[in-house]
Amino acid sequence: MITTIGTYLPTWSGPGGARAAGLDEDALTLAVAAGRAALGEGGSDQATRVVVVSRELPLLDGDNAAALLAGLDVPSDVDVVERLGGGPSTMDSLLAATPGTLVIGVDLAGHAGAAAGWVGPEARGGELSPRGRVHRSLPLHVRGQDAVVYDDDDPRLQRERGLRASLAVADLSGKPVAIAGLRRREATAYCQGEVPELPTLGSSAPLFALAALADTAASGIVGAVEQASLVAAWWDPGDVVVHRDEASPQPVPARRMAPGPDIKFAATAYDRAFDAKLRWQAGRCPSCGTLALPPRHRCLTCGEEGTATPVALPRTGTVYTLTTVHVPVPGLASPYSLAVVQLDGVDVRSLVQVTDDGGDTTDIDDRGRLVLRRVAVRSGVPDYGYAFVPEKRN
Amino acid sequence: MRRVAIVGAGMTPFAEHFALGIKDLVPMAVTEMAGTVDKGLDRGDIEAAWFGELSTTDGFPSGILADSCGLLDIPVTHVENACATGQDALRNAVLGIASGYVDVALVVGADKVRETSARSTFWDWMGMTRDMAWDYPLGLVAPANFALHVRRYLHEAPATRTHMAMIAVKNHKHAVTNPKAQLRQEITIEQVLSAPIVVEPFGLYDCTPQSDGAASLLVVGEEVVDRYTDRPVWVQGFGLGMDRVMHQHKPDMTTFPPTVKAAASAYAMAGKGPQDIDVAEVHDCFTGVELMSYEDLGFADRFCGHELVEAGDNYVGGRIPVNPSGGLKAKGHPPGATGVAQCVELFEQLRGESTNQVEGARTALAHNIGGPTAVSAVTILGADKT
Repeated sequence: MITTIGTYLPTWSGPGGARAAGLDEDALTLAVAAGRAALGEGGSDQATRVVVVSRELPLLDGDNAAALLAGLDVPSDVDVVERLGGGPSTMDSLLAATPGTLVIGVDLAGHAGAAAGWVGPEARGGELSPRGRVHRSLPLHVRGQDAVVYDDDDPRLQRERGLRASLAVADLSGKPVAIAGLRRREATAYCQGEVPELPTLGSSAPLFALAALADTAASGIVGAVEQASLVAAWWDPGDVVVHRDEASPQPVPARRMAPGPDIKFAATAYDRAFDAKLRWQAGRCPSCGTLALPPRHRCLTCGEEGTATPVALPRTGTVYTLTTVHVPVPGLASPYSLAVVQLDGVDVRSLVQVTDDGGDTTDIDDRGRLVLRRVAVRSGVPDYGYAFVPEKRN
Repeated sequence: MRRVAIVGAGMTPFAEHFALGIKDLVPMAVTEMAGTVDKGLDRGDIEAAWFGELSTTDGFPSGILADSCGLLDIPVTHVENACATGQDALRNAVLGIASGYVDVALVVGADKVRETSARSTFWDWMGMTRDMAWDYPLGLVAPANFALHVRRYLHEAPATRTHMAMIAVKNHKHAVTNPKAQLRQEITIEQVLSAPIVVEPFGLYDCTPQSDGAASLLVVGEEVVDRYTDRPVWVQGFGLGMDRVMHQHKPDMTTFPPTVKAAASAYAMAGKGPQDIDVAEVHDCFTGVELMSYEDLGFADRFCGHELVEAGDNYVGGRIPVNPSGGLKAKGHPPGATGVAQCVELFEQLRGESTNQVEGARTALAHNIGGPTAVSAVTILGADKT
């Protein structure tokens, strides 16, 4: 049973209405945004497994899992599966999910977006049951370890020997109501009823399809396709809850990257700051209760040393002051804005970037929330931290 | 405490000295200084040296000073205290003399900013001054640190960008007669306001240029002053103030508490107040910083700095002339040299020798804020012993 579905769409609108990720977003931050929408505020201490399905996770060597768990604010002992795949893999992961599993599909290039399904411990929500699966090889679009893309642009071959042939093999005993992986116009030819338009075409598309059907309380067969592979399931939305973190689309602002030397990476500083920086935690002094961000050895107020314990910080606040940097800075996209944000309900301020906005869109006293973003890429390492999204952008 | 005087002061021009290294600039400044000692300087008299340099180029600073100036038989100490570096080198030399440790000390401040490409300077500087995990990756470039303060100040005070522009216009005008200044052309308010924005709310003309240069002082104990001059400039008071380093820990960003603390110590030590200051060199790395500092130094009431600007009180000839040298804004700002160079200007002012002389100046104040905004130095100099 899928208890909740969370969706995330970045704010920039690209060509043909597709959403485009901000320059401070990557597949991991998109996954976190969708995952948090599914789990609700405060994450979930009931998660035992996180499956993230994508072909665009940031690191091949290195580690995505710790940052993913920290961003989701689930414990660091939770099992993480990084599944390399598209829509059919996401559908398979959902079908195989046991209670306590969060499945996230992420797409970055082309149509950017992410969606997550939370299979909670309690048996309620929507029911997804297998209806057919076929893996066939028709590699018209390939990308190998060398990262070079080969595209054999042959839509008729794709249609005839791809989806149509796979549908024949799979024998779904009925027409689908949605097909993830196709634009609505193409999907309509294989479907019955009013086919939903999905904002993405890859790993996240099946979950966007389930969410769309939940909106209209429509049951039926949902197919997930990628080239010639197909996984289909019967979806009864039941009382599944959908949380959408989808900003209204905005035109991409003008900003420029300046060439220059790599931004230095300091592994020791990264390591010391990791938990507080990615889980958004202050150090709390047990003597006087003062919160410090970043956490520090000596209390800001009473001088107590070495005893602070991590506590979660509020994720909303008000701009105390800010500035926009217009001058080109190597490795960053200018203009960009920095803000000192007063967090709600605590005596804590934080200096953060304003999420990629092209500068000058935010003012003193603006309200907003703090979200995980890729603050910088430092000598190849994605450096995650929190950034301010002004409320008025939504 | 034993009284200490400045008896010689000199500096190189401030500029982008691509062709000169730190090992050229330092001895050039010391020789300039030696030329101003009325009764001459035998370099063998120098018993110790304090060298302010913020960055490090071509080797470790103390060794560079000793080697490049041929001072191999005295102790040399490197001082680094962000943009308060130069004045802190002076403070340490004064303490060395006041304690009786030495009678004659050399102070040098220098920096070679244009030693790396303009592009890598940003990150080099951030790496030197910011927390590597929490601040550095945000792109908190130098002007942004001050912009966070000034933006909030403009939000709370009646001051506007025009008042900042008026300060740029003044400092450029003051620099015209200064042969050591980097930018010696007059500008207009319209030019300042229509210049490209570097970091909001600072346009190009609100910012100091990148500069190389060196400055030097000879400081001596009161018993030996007569050996060098009959017109000494006395160190009447000094102060060094600190604050939290990270901006999120500064509750009120419309003021610089380090300046308030440094000024309070310096005024108390000198037995003077802001009303006694005839001329001041104030840290104007960005125009808005000079504006805010009027209030922290006591030249203007809180949120009334703009009134001083509107009245033209900050010009030579006004009630409290500020930055007759052109300031950091037009004279230039090699950080380690800056505080020492301010004292070079004030040395000339108090002896009636400045190229932009404030008539009858008897008491003068130098001010730096840096770190950014977590350390300040204030020095009060006088033509009179007290």
